[in-house]
Amino acid sequence: MAKLRKYLVVTRISLQNVIAYRSSALGGLLFYSLFIFVFFNLWRAIYKGGEVTGYSLTQMIWYLCITELVVFGCRSGVYNQMNDDVKSGSIAYQLNRPYHYVMFQFFNALGNMVFNLVIYGILAIILGLIMAGPIPGFSFASLPFALISVFLGIIINFFFMITLGLTAFRLEENFAFYLIYQKLVFMLGMFIPVEFLPKWLQSIALYLPFSYVAWAPARLVVAFSWDLFWQVIPVQLVWALVSILMSLGMYSYGVKGIQAHGG
Amino acid sequence: MAAIEVEGLCKLYRTRIKEEGLKASFRALTRPVYKEVKAVDNISFTVEQGEILAFIGPNGAGKSTTIKMLTGILHPSSGRLSVLGMDPATQRRRLSYRIGTVFGQKSQLWFHLPPMDSFVLLGAIYDIEKAVLKKRIDELAERFEIGDLLKTPVRKLSLGQRIRCEVAASLLHSPDILFLDEPTIGLDVVAKHRIRELILQMNREQGTTIFLTSHDTGDMEQLCRRAIVIDHGRIILDEPVKKLKYDYMNRKIIAVRFTGEYKLKEIDGITLEKSGRLGARLSVDTRVCSIDEAMRWLIAQGGVADITVEDPPMEDIIASIFEGGGQSLGGGR
Amino acid sequence: MHKHVVRAMNVFRLIGLYFKVNLASALEYRASFLLQAFGMALNNCSFVFFWYIAFSQIGGRIGGYDFNDVMFIWALCSSAFGASHILFANMNSITRIIVSGELDTFLLQPKDVLVSLLCSKTSLTAWGDFLYGFILMALTHGGDAQAWSMFLLGIAIGGLLMTAISVTAHTMTFYLGDASLIGSMALEFVINFCIYPEGIYRGVVRVLMLSVIPASFIVHIPLKLARHFSPGLLLLLLTVSAAYCCFAYVFFYRGLKRYESGNLIIARM
Repeated sequence: MAKLRKYLVVTRISLQNVIAYRSSALGGLLFYSLFIFVFFNLWRAIYKGGEVTGYSLTQMIWYLCITELVVFGCRSGVYNQMNDDVKSGSIAYQLNRPYHYVMFQFFNALGNMVFNLVIYGILAIILGLIMAGPIPGFSFASLPFALISVFLGIIINFFFMITLGLTAFRLEENFAFYLIYQKLVFMLGMFIPVEFLPKWLQSIALYLPFSYVAWAPARLVVAFSWDLFWQVIPVQLVWALVSILMSLGMYSYGVKGIQAHGG
Repeated sequence: MAAIEVEGLCKLYRTRIKEEGLKASFRALTRPVYKEVKAVDNISFTVEQGEILAFIGPNGAGKSTTIKMLTGILHPSSGRLSVLGMDPATQRRRLSYRIGTVFGQKSQLWFHLPPMDSFVLLGAIYDIEKAVLKKRIDELAERFEIGDLLKTPVRKLSLGQRIRCEVAASLLHSPDILFLDEPTIGLDVVAKHRIRELILQMNREQGTTIFLTSHDTGDMEQLCRRAIVIDHGRIILDEPVKKLKYDYMNRKIIAVRFTGEYKLKEIDGITLEKSGRLGARLSVDTRVCSIDEAMRWLIAQGGVADITVEDPPMEDIIASIFEGGGQSLGGGR
Repeated sequence: MHKHVVRAMNVFRLIGLYFKVNLASALEYRASFLLQAFGMALNNCSFVFFWYIAFSQIGGRIGGYDFNDVMFIWALCSSAFGASHILFANMNSITRIIVSGELDTFLLQPKDVLVSLLCSKTSLTAWGDFLYGFILMALTHGGDAQAWSMFLLGIAIGGLLMTAISVTAHTMTFYLGDASLIGSMALEFVINFCIYPEGIYRGVVRVLMLSVIPASFIVHIPLKLARHFSPGLLLLLLTVSAAYCCFAYVFFYRGLKRYESGNLIIARM
């Protein structure tokens, strides 16, 4: 318990830190609204052009609000932080501190994420209501279950980011990997629901982690079903575990490199 | 002929003041309140062509502001300014062809490239013809002994090597005046000495006028014949370095550590500033007692474990100028 | 008149010089240069994928554009962004350069301050953006000469407009103290309006895209010209773009006066 306490202090401080940086928080809110606005216009134009499978326009707008919420909620800068720490060598100072570096980064980012989720959550609801209105047949009772999926999506995304940031230990230029990861999340769920993909790609996507970051949570929010819930949650749990193990593995692999070569 | 003429130069900064609290923030938005700060307050001096001048003072004294006005970066609030017969504020571009600048903290070299590439770019920026530039680079490379360094990326150079390249870069267009802002900051004793020698050589052989600001009393002692001391935007002293040295830089600080209990018999010119159980700080008046004498005396006391000799910091020297003000203030103004 | 021509020539020569040095600097890191450029090109592919899915869902037109139209604006936006960031990558750091006093270095040189400032850095990933547009054009427009000429002209105009937007936003630093946030967001904001058909927007937004957010001048009007050429529209495009750039240039130099007077309120970062 005492061990957890020091991490929670880290979280609180990072939370205070975000609030202090109000202006950049404001910028994020502006861009969140902009993206939703642009895509609202775009999907409206697309729906005018013809039938779209599986989602009504209202559901589609809410879907975007949620996927963007996951992505903006994760904007903790953890990738850059890791990258900078490793490249500048300042990580060496963190190694002999009485905490686990990866866990420190997680709780440090947690404050940021909690703040983002609350603020962007409120904004998402406002924007959704203005642009799309309430979803017909939406049930509040199932929302808490859908939020579990949102939380898991964020965890998966977060630990993949950490893993990617830590590749800086062994690779001078790792930005390309970050881009590729980001775009896979983007294509396999964030802007396009998995249902829209060609059949062959759908079956591949469901075996990969990327769709479980944004698609699964958003789908559960806009069209909840217990079938989907039981289908998605176990997979998310597995990927969450895998991503955490990968980040820890990447960390100890990297640290070994430092100890062997002196940074 | 005068290279730099300054008369009644002033620089006022206007800074907005804001009180604490939200209400005050709104008031500041609609009716801002300004406070005027005099960074440079009515200074006048002349620098002759070929002279080496030290412009010294503590942080925030107005050194940088003055150098920025002389080079045209900042415009004066009032006063007359002439550099090589030009007004820096209105003729900055024309002036820039004839002055060189080394601002210790800011590099004009490209970090990832060998200095040679930067030299070629700078040559083009200063409209130097290719053949002329090549000759000039060869000449500077030889003089500054940087021939081997020219092909090495700047990031791989030591600070001392970098500064040498930096100074060489500022001389590519054969400027008439070289402005040096803290050129030796962060260098070790050997590298400092090297840079100073090069600057002196430039001055002797090409007649380059040197305008130097520094924190380092060594820079002033070894380079300059004349020094202007500035504090709170005013000139408090303008006289030959020799005199300044005699009047104010006549102290050395010796920190000494002993192997056991010690007893000191004070002699003329040495005063005990601080003493502990195993060590002491002594102040030596070099007019009365030379360092050589002081050392002999100290060794004679027996049981010396360690000795450090230093110059008193610039701030102390300026404080002593203020204290002994009466005798030499008149000279400069 | 002659004087202006000489001055313009000098500016081009300066840009060329910086380009060469920048390229040499970038090539110091050959492997990462290729990797970054490749990564960026790959990154851009995701948008094509998005549009492919969107069009395959409904077929036909979206916001009045067919698939090739969308590819044209996307290619143009990518290459214009790439070109501007290959040549003027420092547009993103103007605030930092002002606040840290690095600006002095440029003020001490006998060349145009804004041009030297903008040119003295390049971006590696920008090469990926730049080349990507060409690849996309080759795939979707093949040998369509009219489309290609408008694409090339559009790169020049769009690149300059994007630079002007960044410069204008960052120049606020001279007036406000620290405009890094506005500066970093302004261009991204405009680009968001560049990469979708203008037909998806209505009323006020359309007007904004022809004024404050000059997105239409960057991509949509060049597309119109590529499909149906009209000298009048071309003239309008050139005039408005020139006006934007002049405004940014003058605005910067007005701000610089404040810097020179020393009455800049600079927030310590």
